[in-house]
Amino acid sequence: MDCRAVQRHAVQRHASDSGRSTDAMIDHGLLVQMLIGALLGISVYLPLMAGQLSLATPAFYAVGGTLAALLSTRWAALGASADGRFPLPSFLLEVLLGGVLAGLLALLVGRLVLRLQGIYLAIATIALVEIVRVAILNLPLAGGAIGIFAIPQPFANAAGYLLPALALLALAAWSCQRLESMPLGRAMAAIRADELAARCMGIDTTATKLSAFVLSAVLAGSTGALAAHFLNTWNARQGSFDVSITTLAFVILGGSRSWLGPVMGGLLLTALPELLRPVGDVRLVLFGLVILLGPVLFPQGLITPALLERIGGFGRQEAQG
Amino acid sequence: MDVLLQTLLNGAAAGGVYALVALGYTLVFSVLGVINFAQGALFSLGGYLTYLLMGGHISVSGGLPGWGLPIALPFAAALLLAAAGAALLSLLVERLAFAPLRRRNAEPLLSLITSLGAGLVLVNLLQLLMGAEGYAFPAGSLAGLPAVVSLGGARIRSVQVLLLLICAAVVLLLTLWLEGSRGGRALRAVAEDPTTARLLGIDSDAMVRLAFLLSGALAGLGGGLVGVSVSLPGPYFGIGYGLKGLTVLVLGGLGSVPGAIAGGLLMGLAEAMVPSGASGWRDALAFAILFVVLLLRPTGLLGRRLVEKV
Amino acid sequence: MRRCSAGLAAAIGALVLIGQQSDPAAQRIQQGGALTIGAVIALTGNANLYGQDQRLGINLAQRWFDGRPRTAGSPAPPRLRLQLEDGGSDEATAIAGFNLLINGGALALIGPTLSQQAFAADPIAQRLGVPVVAPSNTAQGIPQIGHYISRVSAQSSVIAPLSLEEALRRDPSIRRVAVFYAQDDAYSTAETEIFQEALAARNLNPVTVQRTQLADNDFQTPITAALQRNPQLVVISVQAVAGGNLIRQLRELGYRGQIVVGNGLNTPNIYPICQRWCDGILIAQAYSPDLDTPINRTFLRLHQGVNPEQPPSQMTAQAFTAYQVLAEAITRLQQQGRLQGANLGQARSRLMQELLSGSYDTPLGPIRFRADGEVLQDRFFVAEVRMQPDGRRGRFALVRDLSLASKPATSPPERGSP
Repeated sequence: MDCRAVQRHAVQRHASDSGRSTDAMIDHGLLVQMLIGALLGISVYLPLMAGQLSLATPAFYAVGGTLAALLSTRWAALGASADGRFPLPSFLLEVLLGGVLAGLLALLVGRLVLRLQGIYLAIATIALVEIVRVAILNLPLAGGAIGIFAIPQPFANAAGYLLPALALLALAAWSCQRLESMPLGRAMAAIRADELAARCMGIDTTATKLSAFVLSAVLAGSTGALAAHFLNTWNARQGSFDVSITTLAFVILGGSRSWLGPVMGGLLLTALPELLRPVGDVRLVLFGLVILLGPVLFPQGLITPALLERIGGFGRQEAQG
Repeated sequence: MDVLLQTLLNGAAAGGVYALVALGYTLVFSVLGVINFAQGALFSLGGYLTYLLMGGHISVSGGLPGWGLPIALPFAAALLLAAAGAALLSLLVERLAFAPLRRRNAEPLLSLITSLGAGLVLVNLLQLLMGAEGYAFPAGSLAGLPAVVSLGGARIRSVQVLLLLICAAVVLLLTLWLEGSRGGRALRAVAEDPTTARLLGIDSDAMVRLAFLLSGALAGLGGGLVGVSVSLPGPYFGIGYGLKGLTVLVLGGLGSVPGAIAGGLLMGLAEAMVPSGASGWRDALAFAILFVVLLLRPTGLLGRRLVEKV
Repeated sequence: MRRCSAGLAAAIGALVLIGQQSDPAAQRIQQGGALTIGAVIALTGNANLYGQDQRLGINLAQRWFDGRPRTAGSPAPPRLRLQLEDGGSDEATAIAGFNLLINGGALALIGPTLSQQAFAADPIAQRLGVPVVAPSNTAQGIPQIGHYISRVSAQSSVIAPLSLEEALRRDPSIRRVAVFYAQDDAYSTAETEIFQEALAARNLNPVTVQRTQLADNDFQTPITAALQRNPQLVVISVQAVAGGNLIRQLRELGYRGQIVVGNGLNTPNIYPICQRWCDGILIAQAYSPDLDTPINRTFLRLHQGVNPEQPPSQMTAQAFTAYQVLAEAITRLQQQGRLQGANLGQARSRLMQELLSGSYDTPLGPIRFRADGEVLQDRFFVAEVRMQPDGRRGRFALVRDLSLASKPATSPPERGSP
């Protein structure tokens, strides 16, 4: 009984204390994490544009992150200094290389897995994520369970990561937007609507699906490289089954009909557990309730086609007026 | 010879549980074409319910320290009641996470997320109530049973043999019921073709609820059985089995009952055959097998029906 | 669509501005105001078993400190406020917890629970100059993250070989050793390295090394594989519940030789799991409930008030110690008047200096810090688990109490230097 008193004491104290710092709850560090969430959301959304439910994003994220962690801590030519600083150009190079390596891997794997459909593809890509996780865990260079630490920093604080993360997000969003009016994007939409019909129309469905898969991997790999520096450390746990499902939740809750959906989903769902801190011990129960009830209340996600239309419609009206 | 027999035994013991978990997924998948991610949490719940029904008390770090049910049932009774409890909760999961979406004809993909949310709520509630530490079932759970049975030089813990036998019995009963009874045939009819089933006068909603009830009971049973074998290592323990079961489900072919059994045994055997030197890769093996099988047979070992596009 | 994107950009821009806050390090310390000690520990996720023991330890330490009798005439002790945040079991949550507490003006931090989390969150505290005391990080390289990072959790390098020695002393004929460890757990991999090096130093090459996973609890396959090599000694580095299962299954499957387990199993949590099969295992401890000192007796009494059934675990004792060393260092700082007129940044820096220079009488025994923040612990213990006949309760019976105090204070423990 005494224990309950201690715990209640602790919980109450916890709740009252946290209340004071709510005004500063979205700090720059959390904002970077939210942007990383949004980037991963877009990465899951890209194959979905072509109707492919791939959950391989965390595998490519892990590959990109591991590459950046290894390069920056082992390859002296990149210019990591003894006091833990890292030149910006080297950092950008890693973000690029992370994307390229993940893209190459996707090119190899994609040919195999994209023959699968629907839930089979989803589970095969989860299998890929777990295989990559165990491979990184067993990779002697990657430090086993402890992972790679003391990753050098290109920026003095978390705010520094805002700019590259925002730039990457803007690039990804712009590409998605552009894609919709390009032949590739239209082919992807056609496959999503009806794969068989698309093939009959002469669309090279294999190449189209593969392109979407590779684009998704490039984005995830680059995001991983950025995240490795931001997190200061990297280990096999970063890309796991849990991340697969979380990133899928970004897309589902945000809405899967436009890139805005996964971005909103990624931003909100990453911030939510942190914003729920004042409720204390039940915060993950509440988080689970949001995930449970979100799709029930918003079956098309927060950003629905109707909403997009309305916004677009207002835009036109104003332009006319 | 001994080594081979030992490997077979080890594989069968692990595979039996995998098959049980996969069957839970299979039942729901066959009628709805969706995966219930809350299955792992129901597995945990089954373990904790069995513990409480046997007269176990909540530890000091739980939400109600020292609290326990005023009853202490024998293991078999507790296990059955726990399975019933998990079945009821599974119904609740259906009501909250699946039924609203079905009513609106929403994308089946959504229920992946809602059921995940339901599982998250359940596991975190379990942690708040029970705390994080391991619980062992009260002593004498399996009184009278020797610790180990020897079979021609191979040794296996008798609780594992019991587990395997119960799994086999449950699977057999379930198969017989699906094949032979009215209810089972109705369930299969809905799984086969919901529209025709409705025309035949089968209440498909009732069949969906039945599938959730059964799969929840299987999860609860699995949790209680694994609990008596390796105690309850914390509220998250069902999640690991859930993930393994998921791979088995897909390996065997979605919606196929014999596939789930064959997949489970195959997975258990394959893991048992990993040599010690490569034991670090054991966890990847299940997924590697799944990956290869899917590439060769895109709908799993014994799967036939192609799933709708998501 | 364009409007939508513009709106989104504006929203993110606004968040960037909101996130921009005044640096609390520049604020003056309020005279007589409460000073905040922050703690970030795993209350959710897979590591929550550790976290709940740690929360208990910190809460007990807080009670102990606030309830200490005042000697007449001595200056008032500082008012300390504890702010406890969930660090989850992942890196991102730990980082968020650190940021939250640092921005909220915490004077010092305790945590995070896992070594992997420490490698992610500690650099942030280091950059901002916030003292961190780790209660449970045992990986190599933690104090080396920087000047502001210290720990009270001794590395396995010092402790682990002691229990091996004891096993070999009992049976010098041991030649065949089997090693088990949880491959995806930082705590266990750090420890097994030490075990395996200690074995190699004695020319005992393991006949088999079985890698398990954190989530494993059924060890039928690895155990039968290991037993085929007829080991005379089994050395285990896994987490508590898995360890209890492993020991029980080893015994059930017919292993009769000695078992040496690592620090992860230094918790009474294992008794209900391995029951009578726990009997006789050897464990090296950084904390022993049998230590007969006034502070440990106080700690035991406080703990008994909360949990009359079991003695405290090592995690609880180490978390208590983490709060204790911070509270004592702050008290000294205040009594010397060195907090007067200081801003938070200066106070943090002075606290770190004071923390490292002091020596502390803790439930773990007397401890000090090396200049880089590594703990120097004088007393370690080798215990043997003795279970009562009912197999439900047991205790860690002290076999050897090793005082390393005779060694020169500055000598770094072998291999413990990074």
